Amino acid sequence: MTTAVSINKVTKRFDATTAVDDVTIDIARGEFFTLLGSSGCGKTTLLRIIAGFLRQTSGTIRFDDKPIDDVPAHRRNTGMVFQNYAIFPHLSVFDNIAYGLRARGCARAEIDTRVGQMLELIQLAALKNRRPRELSGGQQQRVVLARAMVIQPDVLLMDEPLSNLDTAMRVHLRAEIRALQRQVGITTIYVTHDQEEALLMSDRVAVMSHGRVKQIATPLEIYNTPETRFVAGFVGECNMLPGKVVELADQTATVALGEGGRLAVQGVSGVVQGQARTVAFRPQDAELQPVPDDDTRGLCGRLVDIQFLGGTVRFVVDIGAGAIVHVAAQRRTGAAIPVLGGRYRLDIPPHAVRLFEPAPA
Amino acid sequence: MTGAMVAARRLLGFWPAVTAAMLIVTAALLLLPVVNIVGLSFSGEEDTAGVLRNYQMFFSEPYYYRTLINSFIVSISATVLALLVGVPAAYFTSRFHIWMRSLIRAAVVLIFVSPPFIGSYSWIILLGRNGLVTTTLADYGISLPSIYGAQGIIFVFTLHYFPFVFLLVSSGLKSIDQSIEDAARNLGSSEFATFRKVIAPLLAPSISTGALLVFIACFTDLGTPIILGERFRVLPVLIYGEFVNDFGGRPVLASTLSVLLLLITTAALLLQRWYASRNAFGTAAVRPLTLQEQPFKKRLLAALFVYTLVGVALLPLVNIIVSSFLKANGPVLLAEFTLDNYQRILGTIGRPLWNTIFFTTTATLLCAVFGTMIGYIIVRRPGRISSFLDTIIMFSFAVPGIVLGVGLVVTYHHPPFAMTGTALILILAYFIRRLPFSVRSSVGMLQQLSRDTEEASVNLGAGPAMTFIKITVPLLSVAILSGVLLTWSNTIRELSATLILQSGRTVTVSLEIFNEVVNGNFGVASALGTVLILLTFLPLSVLFTAMGKREDALV
Repeated sequence: MTTAVSINKVTKRFDATTAVDDVTIDIARGEFFTLLGSSGCGKTTLLRIIAGFLRQTSGTIRFDDKPIDDVPAHRRNTGMVFQNYAIFPHLSVFDNIAYGLRARGCARAEIDTRVGQMLELIQLAALKNRRPRELSGGQQQRVVLARAMVIQPDVLLMDEPLSNLDTAMRVHLRAEIRALQRQVGITTIYVTHDQEEALLMSDRVAVMSHGRVKQIATPLEIYNTPETRFVAGFVGECNMLPGKVVELADQTATVALGEGGRLAVQGVSGVVQGQARTVAFRPQDAELQPVPDDDTRGLCGRLVDIQFLGGTVRFVVDIGAGAIVHVAAQRRTGAAIPVLGGRYRLDIPPHAVRLFEPAPA
Repeated sequence: MTGAMVAARRLLGFWPAVTAAMLIVTAALLLLPVVNIVGLSFSGEEDTAGVLRNYQMFFSEPYYYRTLINSFIVSISATVLALLVGVPAAYFTSRFHIWMRSLIRAAVVLIFVSPPFIGSYSWIILLGRNGLVTTTLADYGISLPSIYGAQGIIFVFTLHYFPFVFLLVSSGLKSIDQSIEDAARNLGSSEFATFRKVIAPLLAPSISTGALLVFIACFTDLGTPIILGERFRVLPVLIYGEFVNDFGGRPVLASTLSVLLLLITTAALLLQRWYASRNAFGTAAVRPLTLQEQPFKKRLLAALFVYTLVGVALLPLVNIIVSSFLKANGPVLLAEFTLDNYQRILGTIGRPLWNTIFFTTTATLLCAVFGTMIGYIIVRRPGRISSFLDTIIMFSFAVPGIVLGVGLVVTYHHPPFAMTGTALILILAYFIRRLPFSVRSSVGMLQQLSRDTEEASVNLGAGPAMTFIKITVPLLSVAILSGVLLTWSNTIRELSATLILQSGRTVTVSLEIFNEVVNGNFGVASALGTVLILLTFLPLSVLFTAMGKREDALV
C-alpha cells in the first residue's frame, strides 16, 4: 500500500497541557481513516495540525512523502469539512462549491464542468442557485462535502461532520459519505466521538485518549481484540471484573474472580501465575444457564434485573461481592425467559474473554 | 524551504504587514501627537526653571487654575444631574406602560446626535437676555436665572448629555432577567427596595459607563462654554484661547493645558473601567425584565416626568428649526415667517457643505477600512501586539478633540509633514477620533462569528488577504455598514478639533454655524443648524428603520 499521509511523532503542547502526544500514523491512499475519542482527546487538534491551522510543537507530517510542515494552510491542498458546516452564507450553492477552484485560478469552463459533476454526485443540481439559508442541514452538509472534494485534495479532513444533524439524517448521511468516498477513492481522515460511526464507516480506526493513540486497527479488530483496557471499555460495552490468574496451561489461563467464581481464558500471552488481571467480556458473549444453589462451577450469580429493550433483553446478574455483570441476548419469540431472582451460570466461550492490566487503584 | 525563508515569510505575510501598518498609522496620528504635547509641556524658552515650570505657573496663577476648578464644577454637576434624570427616565420608559414609548426613544436619539453647541445658542434665543421666554415672563414680572455662566452650561450639558445615561441604562435593563426581580419581590422586597438593592447594583456597569461618557463629554466640550460661558472660563476654552490667540498663540502653554485635560479624562476612563470590572456580573437575560402594571396615577406621574424632560431637551432643536424660518435682526428674532435665512446661506453654504460632506465621507471610509482590519486583528490574531492595538483604540476614547487638534498641529506643522490648515489634517483628525466606532462594531460581530467559515476558505486555497476580502468582509457587511452610519453621524458635527485645525479654506458647516453664532447672526445660524441636523439624522434613520438597529447601538 502507498502511504498518502504520514504522521510522524507529532506532539502539540499548549502551555502546560499536551494536546497531542507523540502520535505516529501512516494512512494509505484511498483509505477511510478515523480518529475516535471523547472530547478533549486531541483528535480535532491533530486534524487541525494536518490542515495547517495549528503548528505542531514537534514531529513531521508528510503528504506523499513530502514534508508539509512549512506549507501554509491555504497551500496544503486538503479539503476540510467542519462540524458546523462553515458554509459561506453569502454565496450560492454553486459559488460555494466553486470557491476552491476559483482560488486556484481554474478556467471558467473547467469550473462549470467540475462543479456540475459534483452537483450531480451530491444530487443537488436543481438547487445550485439557492442560498445556504434555503437549504436543510443535511443539504448544507452535502454542499460543504462537495466543496471539499471538488478541489481533488490530497486528503479529505472531516471534523465530526454529522454531529449537528438529527439521528435519521445522520444515519442516512454516514452511508452516503462512505459511498461517495469509495466512489471517488479519496484519502479521508474522519474525526468522531461516535463509535458506531467509526466502526461502520472506517477502513481503520485510531482510538485516542489524552492525546495518545491507544490502538490502530480495523473496526473488527478494535471491537474483537482490543489491546488495552481503555479501548475495550471505550468501544462497545464490556464487563470488567477484577481477578487473579490461578492456573496457566499453554495459552489458556484460569482466573479466579471475587466470590469463588472462575473463568477460563484462551489465547493469553505474557501472563504470570498469581498475577492480578482484569477480566473482560462483551455482554452478548455470555449465556445464562439455570443452576441449582449448590453448583458453584464456573461463574454463577443471581439474576437481579431484566431490562427489556425490544429486540434485545438485558440481564443484570449479581455475582457476589458487589460485582455486577451485564448479559445481552437476542429475544426470540417464544423463547424461555430467565426468572428474576433465579440462580444462573454465565457460560462464556474462553476465546471471548480477554485479560488486561488491573484497574488503577 | 529553509528556516530563514519560513521566518521571513511569516514576517512578510499579509496580516503581519497589515498589523504593522495599523500600528504605524495609529502611532503617527494618536501616540506621536500626544507624546509631542507632553514633551512640549515640559519644555521652556530658557532652561533655568526646570521641566515643571509650565505646570508650576498653571497652579500658581488663579487665572489658569481657576479654569480647572470650573471645569470640574460644571462636569461633575452635569454628570450628577444627568444621572438623576437619566436613570429614572430610562427605568420608567423601559418598565412602565408609558404612552408613546417609541416616540420617546426616537426623541432621545435626536437629542443625543444633535450638535451640542447648537443647543447652547438655541437656549440663548429662548432664555438669553433678550430671549423669547425671558421677555415673555418679564412681562408678568417673573425673572429666570441667567442662562449664561456656570449654571447655564450645567443646564445645557445635563439636557444634552443625559441620553448617554438613558441609552446605556435602557440596554442594561434588557440584560437583567425577570426572574431576578420576581425573586426579590417574592422574598419580600418592596418595589423601590428591589430597585435599590437588586436592579441598581446590576446596572452599575451601565450607570458608571454613562456617567463616564457624560463626564468626559462635559469636560472636553468647547463650543458650549465658549457660547454660554462669558467670563466663566473652563479648561478647553483656555486651551483654545491660548492656542489661537491674536498674538500668534502659545503652543507650549496650550500643550501643558492639553496634558492636564488628557490626564483627567484618562484617569476618569481608567477609574470607570476598574469600577465596572469589579461590579460586572455578566448576566444574560433569558427573559428580560417585562413591563410592570402600575396604577394609573403612578403611570401618569412617571409619564409626566419623562415627557417634561424630553420635551425640554428637545426644545432647542424645535426652536432652531422654527427660528430658521423667522426674520432675524442680529440675535433678535421677529415673529415673521421668511425664507430669507435660507436665501442668505444659499450663496455661502457651497464650500462648507462640500467640505463637511467630503471630509466626513473620506474619514468615514478610512474608518471602515482600518477599523475592520483592526477589529479583525484584535479578535482573530490575539497576542501582545494585538492587545497593544486594542489599548491604543481604547485610549483614543480618552483623547479629547481639542487635545488631538493641538497635538496634530504641533506635530505636523514643519516640512516635510506640514499639514496644518490642509483638508488632509482635518480628515485624519476625524478618522483617528472616530476609529473606535468601526473597530467596536467589527469586534462585536467577529466575536460572534465562528472561525470555521474563514478557515474553510483558507483550507480551500484562498490566502489570508483573499479570505478577508471574499469571506470576512461580506460576513461583517452589516456591522461595517452600521459602523459607517454611526461614524458619519458623529463626525459631521465635529467642532472641537475643527476649531483648532481649520483654515479659511477648510471651513465646515458646524464651524460656519459657530462663527455666525459668535457674530450674532442667529437667523443664518439656525438655517445652517437645520441643515446640519438633517445631515446628522438621515443616516441614523436608515440605521434604525432599514437596518433594524436599536438605539443603544449609539453608545
